[in-house]
Amino acid sequence: MNPIFRTLFPRLTSKTPTALALGGLLLSGPIVGLAAEKNHHSEKTYDLPAGEARTGAAIYQKMCADCHGDRGQGVKDEYDEPLHGNRSLQSLVKRIARTMPDDNVGACVGDDASKVAAYIYDSFYSPKAQARLNPPEFDLSRLTFSQYRTSVADLVGRFRPGFDRALGAQHGLKAHYSGLQLEKPADPAATTEAKPVDKPVAKKGDDKKKNRPKVQFDRVDSEVDFHFAATSPDPEKMEPEEFSVRWEGSVIAEETGTYEFIVKSENGVRLAVNDMKNLLVDAWVSSGPDVREEKRTVFLLGGRAYPISLEFFKFKDKTASIELLWKTPHGVVEKVPSQFLSPERLRETMIVKTTFPADDRSVGYERGTGVSKEWDAATTDAAIEVAEHVDAHLDELAGTKSGAPDRVDKLKQFARKFAEAAFRRPLSDDAYHHFIEHQFEVAKTPEIAVKRAVLYTLKSPRFLYPEIPKEGKPDGYDIAERLALSLWDSIPDTTLLRAAAEGKLQTHDQIVAQTNRMMADARTKAKMHGFFHYWLELERAEGIQKDPKSFPEFDAQVLADLRTSLFLFLDQVVWSDKSDYRELLQANYLLLNERLAKLYDKSVSGEGFQRVEFDPNRRSGVVTHPYLLAAFASSKQTSPIHRGVFLTRTIVGMTLKPPPMAVAFEDAKFDSHLTMREKITELTKNTNCMGCHGTINPLGFSLENYDAIGRWRTQDNHKPVNAVTDFSTDEGDKIHLTGARDLVKFAAETPSGHRAFIHLLFQYTVKQEVNVYGPDELENLRQSFTSSGFNIRKLLSDIAITAAMRGTPEPEAKVAQESKPSTAPKPL
Amino acid sequence: MSILNRRQFLRQLGVSSAALPFLAGLPSLMGASTPQSRQRVIIMFSPNGTLPNEFWPDAAGELAFKPIMEPLNPFKDRTLVVDGICNKIRGDGDNHMRGMSCLLTANELLPGNIRGGGGTPAGWASSISIDQEIKNFLQGQKDTRTRFGSLEFGVAVPDRADPWTRMSYAGANQPVAPIDNPYQMFGKMYGRMKDRDNLVSILDDVREDLTRVSAKLSARDKALLDQHVTIVRNLEQDLKHSDKDAKMTHPMPELDPSVELVNDNTPQISRMQIDLLVNSLANDMTRVATLQYMRSVGQAQMRWLGIQEGHHSLSHEPDTNQDSYAKLKKINTWFAGELAYLAKRLAETPEPSGEGSMLDHTLIVWTNELGKGNTHALDNIPCVMIGGAPGFKMGRSVKLDKTPHNRLWLTLAHAMGHTQLETFGKADLCAGGPLSLA
Repeated sequence: MNPIFRTLFPRLTSKTPTALALGGLLLSGPIVGLAAEKNHHSEKTYDLPAGEARTGAAIYQKMCADCHGDRGQGVKDEYDEPLHGNRSLQSLVKRIARTMPDDNVGACVGDDASKVAAYIYDSFYSPKAQARLNPPEFDLSRLTFSQYRTSVADLVGRFRPGFDRALGAQHGLKAHYSGLQLEKPADPAATTEAKPVDKPVAKKGDDKKKNRPKVQFDRVDSEVDFHFAATSPDPEKMEPEEFSVRWEGSVIAEETGTYEFIVKSENGVRLAVNDMKNLLVDAWVSSGPDVREEKRTVFLLGGRAYPISLEFFKFKDKTASIELLWKTPHGVVEKVPSQFLSPERLRETMIVKTTFPADDRSVGYERGTGVSKEWDAATTDAAIEVAEHVDAHLDELAGTKSGAPDRVDKLKQFARKFAEAAFRRPLSDDAYHHFIEHQFEVAKTPEIAVKRAVLYTLKSPRFLYPEIPKEGKPDGYDIAERLALSLWDSIPDTTLLRAAAEGKLQTHDQIVAQTNRMMADARTKAKMHGFFHYWLELERAEGIQKDPKSFPEFDAQVLADLRTSLFLFLDQVVWSDKSDYRELLQANYLLLNERLAKLYDKSVSGEGFQRVEFDPNRRSGVVTHPYLLAAFASSKQTSPIHRGVFLTRTIVGMTLKPPPMAVAFEDAKFDSHLTMREKITELTKNTNCMGCHGTINPLGFSLENYDAIGRWRTQDNHKPVNAVTDFSTDEGDKIHLTGARDLVKFAAETPSGHRAFIHLLFQYTVKQEVNVYGPDELENLRQSFTSSGFNIRKLLSDIAITAAMRGTPEPEAKVAQESKPSTAPKPL
Repeated sequence: MSILNRRQFLRQLGVSSAALPFLAGLPSLMGASTPQSRQRVIIMFSPNGTLPNEFWPDAAGELAFKPIMEPLNPFKDRTLVVDGICNKIRGDGDNHMRGMSCLLTANELLPGNIRGGGGTPAGWASSISIDQEIKNFLQGQKDTRTRFGSLEFGVAVPDRADPWTRMSYAGANQPVAPIDNPYQMFGKMYGRMKDRDNLVSILDDVREDLTRVSAKLSARDKALLDQHVTIVRNLEQDLKHSDKDAKMTHPMPELDPSVELVNDNTPQISRMQIDLLVNSLANDMTRVATLQYMRSVGQAQMRWLGIQEGHHSLSHEPDTNQDSYAKLKKINTWFAGELAYLAKRLAETPEPSGEGSMLDHTLIVWTNELGKGNTHALDNIPCVMIGGAPGFKMGRSVKLDKTPHNRLWLTLAHAMGHTQLETFGKADLCAGGPLSLA
């Protein structure tokens, strides 16, 4: 696919079912598709042989099959796209009457158009017909890279109980201060400056000091940002010449990615993050009076907390100060904010450092449907990495120590539990022999046997292909495995496995109960963050830069703040009681901090992000969030086509076909007095273009009141902005939009918009197509979504349960099933 | 072929990265030419001063070893003892700190926050150490460039970074930590070779497991797993194939897999490190190495010599304390024995170019941060050389007159071909230039 189409259609590929676009061609901006005029053969006659019934089939074969193929499969060099899509029958009729056959428009109208449209619709066009003709199949998949990484983190974490427990509400780090008492109780009137500290201290004084009592105190510091100058942390009591501080607790990573930690100090500092055995920063030895800045990076998984320890000491340096800063994956350098610190210290999380080749995204979302040599090599490297980590922490993980009489038993137990956690079910006797016993027989030492068992386990298809079919009907372990994959991208936790072992993952209610428990876990929140990223195509917002002349205020800090603002909003809505999809689209507020408020013409005072109400006509939910508006725009100007394509496909839920050829939007070629709307209208006025742009443009234009960084505007190129449009739905209805508010009101109520949201959430969560789970599944989910008041969490839970129950008795049988004796779960 | 290209090349050969470090040493695969004559240098350090009367030969000229040096008897004609080398660096820090962190840098310490036993606190060294200087020189030329350039071995170095534990510096404020864990060093040298062995032996199992699982699948699902089986089979064949063809100049050493890194295992760890060091030189991974025993002010309790007290405490005892004197003699003799083992291993290993043994082309320098423990003297610091290098006449004892050690390191640099170096460390201590030891 043309790379520029890729930017426009990140999720669209040749494999994606596309709409029937009879003669319709799509334009894009800055790239625009243009139709090449086709020289058709001389005009044909479309009369049916005398006596033949004018059935839809007969009309089709006569008038359509030459270009579209006898079964709608397309004809090379004529019209090679297969005829299937989501338009309604009524819309097809209109379309055919208006545009077909394209060399003799008007030859197929009225009753003929209705008949042939019905034939096309039922025979191969409609989703139902497609489901019948090409029943979708479940794709056996391996773990994606991110699933692999999460699974390994939880697999090793299994042996560090509490590594993933939820933290209390208190923020900041626990601090322990230690120093020597001042020689005499400080005179309360004495100022701190009164104490000269850089005077060389006589050796005699040193000896005296040794016997002086210590001053120690503990407290929680919300941030680490101290400038003691020449004094001590407690100038009244503590000697300034020499003191130390130790901060401990956990640091919370919201996003997955590389974090840079920065410690600034002129004194001695040591920093450890996650891996407490190996220091991230070792700057214990100071060198001269200058403040040093030590920077190190560490890769962290989002939605988790990691142990952190920061030690500081001063000895005879003239001054003392320390700051702990970080740069999050899409953030800017800042003090580590209090809300990302906790005084409770968690245990280490094992994070695989091996890089895997990118997962297949040819269908839009990442999935593990292919294997390659590079992927296999990466699984080998990662397995070795995990084996080495296990080896280095063996005593801790296996709960034993060298020389213990039951060490070998403990190591075998460890290896067994490790394999069972990785395979998401107990080992059969046979498998136990292969994976564990045999390794202990052939290895030189029990430690090497454990390494071999770990390598073998992690290279096994039983770990790498989680949904590998087992004999018989799915059992509780299958359910557990699928729930964990859908909601956490990981392996089941011990609670889930216990439920499976006890036969408590059988009835619908039992599964719902587990799902509800899992929904509250931070891993689900992390997964939803991934979904937001996918749904709103946030990749395009990362690292964007705007023309500094037009938008001098729009710097990296603003971009980082906007991202925070958007995620805070999304989290707030999704994890509120109502969890209402319509609020995501229609909220008339933004969460802004002082800096953003100023830029977006509001005022906020005080720390952090606060809810700021707008005139409902000026802000309406995510599509008017400045982060998105800035992402769907070029560096100086708006891009109604980018905005329109996103709105059409993702928010309104209409399908589009990629344009057959690309033409760049060249601003210089237009009359310099035109507005952006006028330019795009001019560019796409060709009727061939309007097949798709008839939809794209009006939707894109309805956001013309927002400039390239998402600020409200009423002027474009010194002319008033016109955001009033009309657009036609798939059903052929005309909708009048006066701006963003009308657009989101329509989108929040239209079933096609709901279907698009459900479809994307399903794909992202389950990594399969929804129709694999039955031709009616999308519709079932939509009805449930509607009746729940568009509750997103309920939808997520419905999706996870649908995926979990694949292959189990039909939901109708649920009630009866509860009374049935449970079948014993199968070992591997 | 550059490193990067080699990686790509090996990938194309179908060798997994697990085997890469193994193959990286292969002349046949690397297309390396026949080995040329190589000059190497090893600096060995032991702490807390020596016992001058039991160490220094009485006279210049023909060597007559004192008791501490006796383990070196087999290498007498290849030994050069240089008496009269002084560390004349003053400034911040106590003598131990300066003894250690100025030993190889021959320059003052930066001001800092580390409290010494006396004097003002200090920080790290203010300039590069001689081993790193020589490394940079060798790495700067195509003919002498090696995979690592230098390797820093440690034995029982405590896990803390301060001016008493570091002698090697990549530059001001950039201490280079020695690796005192043989398994870690082995990992660095041979990457995942050891795991590769484990891997090769389980690949059969992995493939069988894949086949077993795959047998139960539908044709559609099976296709994916069959593809996977093929990949594993190819990997297995590649590894076996490379195993057959790939013979390193010197095989990877076998490490006892179960030596715990504790004080009492120091003798074993020392030998493992020496074996690895010799192996790294034999396979031309580096031509510069340091071997650091413990640290300055180190308190190793050498129970394997029947000594319970810490080394540093013993070194403070007056010479008249016969018990501690005897123990210090034992300790220093033990270090000489480790040096002898290193020399022996090099002498036993033929030089890859065919000219003599590796010892003939390697200069080992054994030194210490102090001249004498109980006086903390920085004068007459031990300097024993074994092996061979251009410009060094071996098999004798030399007495110099209070010569700054800056000049010794300058001499070493010149012997390694780095003849452009005019001063090293503190420039005004370099008057007279390199020493004449030919």
